Amino acid sequence: MKRYAWLVSLLALSLLAGCGGQTRNPSPDKAAVTVVMPPTSEPEAGFDPAFGWGAGEHVHEPLLQSTLTVTNPDLTIGYDLATDMRVSEDSLAWTVTIREGVKFTDGTDLTAADVAFTYNAARDASSVNDFTMLDRAEAVDDTTVVFHMTRPFSIWPYTMATLGIVPEDSYDPAAYGSSPVGSGRYRLRQWDRGQQAILEANPDYYGEKPQMERVNILFMEEDAAFLAVQAGQADLAYTSAPYADQTVNGFSLLSVKTVDNRGINLPVTGNDFLSDAEVRRAIDAGIDREEMVDHVLNGYGSPAYSVCDGLPWFTWEARLPYDPVEASDWLDSAGWHLEKEYQEKIPAGQLYPLDCGWRYKDGVRAEMELLYPVGDTVRQALAMDAANQLGRLGIYCTVRGVGWDTAYDEALTTPLVWGWGAHTPMELYNIYHTDRETGSARYSPYANPTVDAYMDEALACTDLEEAYRLWQTAQYDGFTGVTRSGDCPWVWLVNVDHLYWVRDGLQVAQQKIHPHGHGWSVVNNVDQWEWNS
Amino acid sequence: MTGNRRRSTLFLLILAGGLLLALALAGGLLDDRALTTDFSRKNLPPCPAYLFGTDWMGRDMLARTLTGLSLSLRVGALTAAASAAIALVLGTASAAFGGWVDALVSWLIHLVMGVPHILLIILVSLACGRGFWGVTAGVTLTHWPALARLVRGEVLQLKGAPWLRMSRRLGAPRGKILRNHILPHLLPQFLTGLILQFPHAILHEAGVTFLGFGLPPEQPAIGVILEESMSYLTTGRWWLALFPGLALVLVVVLFALAGERLRLLLSPASAQE
Repeated sequence: MKRYAWLVSLLALSLLAGCGGQTRNPSPDKAAVTVVMPPTSEPEAGFDPAFGWGAGEHVHEPLLQSTLTVTNPDLTIGYDLATDMRVSEDSLAWTVTIREGVKFTDGTDLTAADVAFTYNAARDASSVNDFTMLDRAEAVDDTTVVFHMTRPFSIWPYTMATLGIVPEDSYDPAAYGSSPVGSGRYRLRQWDRGQQAILEANPDYYGEKPQMERVNILFMEEDAAFLAVQAGQADLAYTSAPYADQTVNGFSLLSVKTVDNRGINLPVTGNDFLSDAEVRRAIDAGIDREEMVDHVLNGYGSPAYSVCDGLPWFTWEARLPYDPVEASDWLDSAGWHLEKEYQEKIPAGQLYPLDCGWRYKDGVRAEMELLYPVGDTVRQALAMDAANQLGRLGIYCTVRGVGWDTAYDEALTTPLVWGWGAHTPMELYNIYHTDRETGSARYSPYANPTVDAYMDEALACTDLEEAYRLWQTAQYDGFTGVTRSGDCPWVWLVNVDHLYWVRDGLQVAQQKIHPHGHGWSVVNNVDQWEWNS
Repeated sequence: MTGNRRRSTLFLLILAGGLLLALALAGGLLDDRALTTDFSRKNLPPCPAYLFGTDWMGRDMLARTLTGLSLSLRVGALTAAASAAIALVLGTASAAFGGWVDALVSWLIHLVMGVPHILLIILVSLACGRGFWGVTAGVTLTHWPALARLVRGEVLQLKGAPWLRMSRRLGAPRGKILRNHILPHLLPQFLTGLILQFPHAILHEAGVTFLGFGLPPEQPAIGVILEESMSYLTTGRWWLALFPGLALVLVVVLFALAGERLRLLLSPASAQE
């Protein structure tokens, strides 16, 4: 037996080598692509729009279903199923006409009744999306649906861009998630929970035929994804900055701009040090975001100045430069002074050296704690870098990791490193608008009636363009707002670029600015991807 | 041979003790250095300035490893001492009083030993709010039964010994019997048990922290360091795991060896070999 041992091992070796060689070749199938996503991207409740598929914190196009509207590459609104939409004078009724001749994958026609059914079901079931503004949806005829609202909601088209339409006749909440029937570009062929989902082109799709006929989605942790790329088992895989300096034969790095921001909340009440607006402004002015991008993201990111950088409702008023001298002035004016011995060392108006000592006010040291969610190394590094930078200002900042079980509560008094970035202005509302019940904004104590009024007005507006302008004014109107010139209840740090390993020869179509979440966004337009011949 | 073994045991003990002290000191001195992040020197492989390299936030891995070990040793010392004390009290009481006390202690021993250690540590640590005290409580509350059982057996045996019964007949007070006859006999077992408790405690501390139920991630602990290094192994940053791991193994082996030698030396069966 021993004599054959070498033969066996040789055989095994050649087999291994053979496999390795084979998988390294680009997929022979020119109409298929394999994409790796993080396990968190796998929809827990299945592919059911009523239970959050496509919507929620990590918004993306549902692919398997079609939506009434879509967001264009510049994040304005375009049409998918809808052909026209009108809002009533009092902003309380939206009338949408839908296109004819659309079929679900089970062969039935998609009518206004299905649309109304979907919206009413989502209103009743959805825990992920907010549908409290919808009173009821009503199908007037086969192609016209009317949404009756409980309150004015000018950005309803953005909500319509996330909710996929399901068939009224065959919809069963218990089964739909794993065997979805839609009218989207793709249909679900197979789903192995915890491993993969396989999509194939929908032959009955009303729009342009997808160029990629088969999309394999694999769910893997980041290091496994990298190994899969190295082994040539994927065509596109998500990755992050720590891996970006690696090189993989046959793959290149794709970096996509995002509004996937990281920022810290500065509680306006409940935290003695931060309750002073001048201190908050000093922190905003004293954070060198470019340095942070280099340090923490290896350059794969951009400075963030608001929660919505680059979106139609972004205001340039938010974009104020890094200015350590201004920061120092704010702190001095708030009464936080450097110790005497250091004051003399620093030439007037100059950036002081690293060991400038700490600032004091009435014998109390300028101190704050910064929290980050445990296990998120990027946010941990951002917190550390922010603490270092605040140290340069003379603020003693400590960093502590917290679990999400307590993070929301602790953030009400202590700054936390958050991640936001959605394709709807509603995010501004969620972060800055006063909650009726608590009298303060939801995630971090803050209340400004003027800001609230602008946002309420923006929601009541019948014209989207005008609404954009009001959303911008809400952030800063020249007197007050949420920017550094205003109350500055949040400081935005960076937008994290989404990085992907892409196999050479795969043409990934132009990406619209990615929202928070590093998963499905990239395949929003997978139907337009193609392989170089 | 005996002289040699005595000498090498003494040497090992001194080395272990010295290391304990040195690391405890280093932990105190390097604490700041271990926490300092400097992004201008991130991801450096081992070099003369940073013998263990640096991590993705530019923290000095040597300082982190030493502080981590020092923290581990503190947890180890505290838990070994506390659990040995529990073992001594419960073991002695169980054997001395017998009856329902013995039944209760034996039941407790079986209860704790019946659940896998790591599971119980996680539960206790979580219940006590994680962190230093959570881990310490967890490891302490799981590590006493083996030694308690040993002590109980030993005391039971002593209780039946002719010279002890004689002493009692002669009217020696209980305290005196305990001091003069029982404790001296227990000492070798107890000391050995105490020292052998050490590597266990350290490994369990690192283990439970590695799994995310122990010390918080901003604290430089070996478990935290090893957990963090896992995500960087695929990118070839071997130094993040190798050196701290080796250091942990070295310390554990050192204490295990010292305990083993001490046992050989103190146990009557092998002391004269």
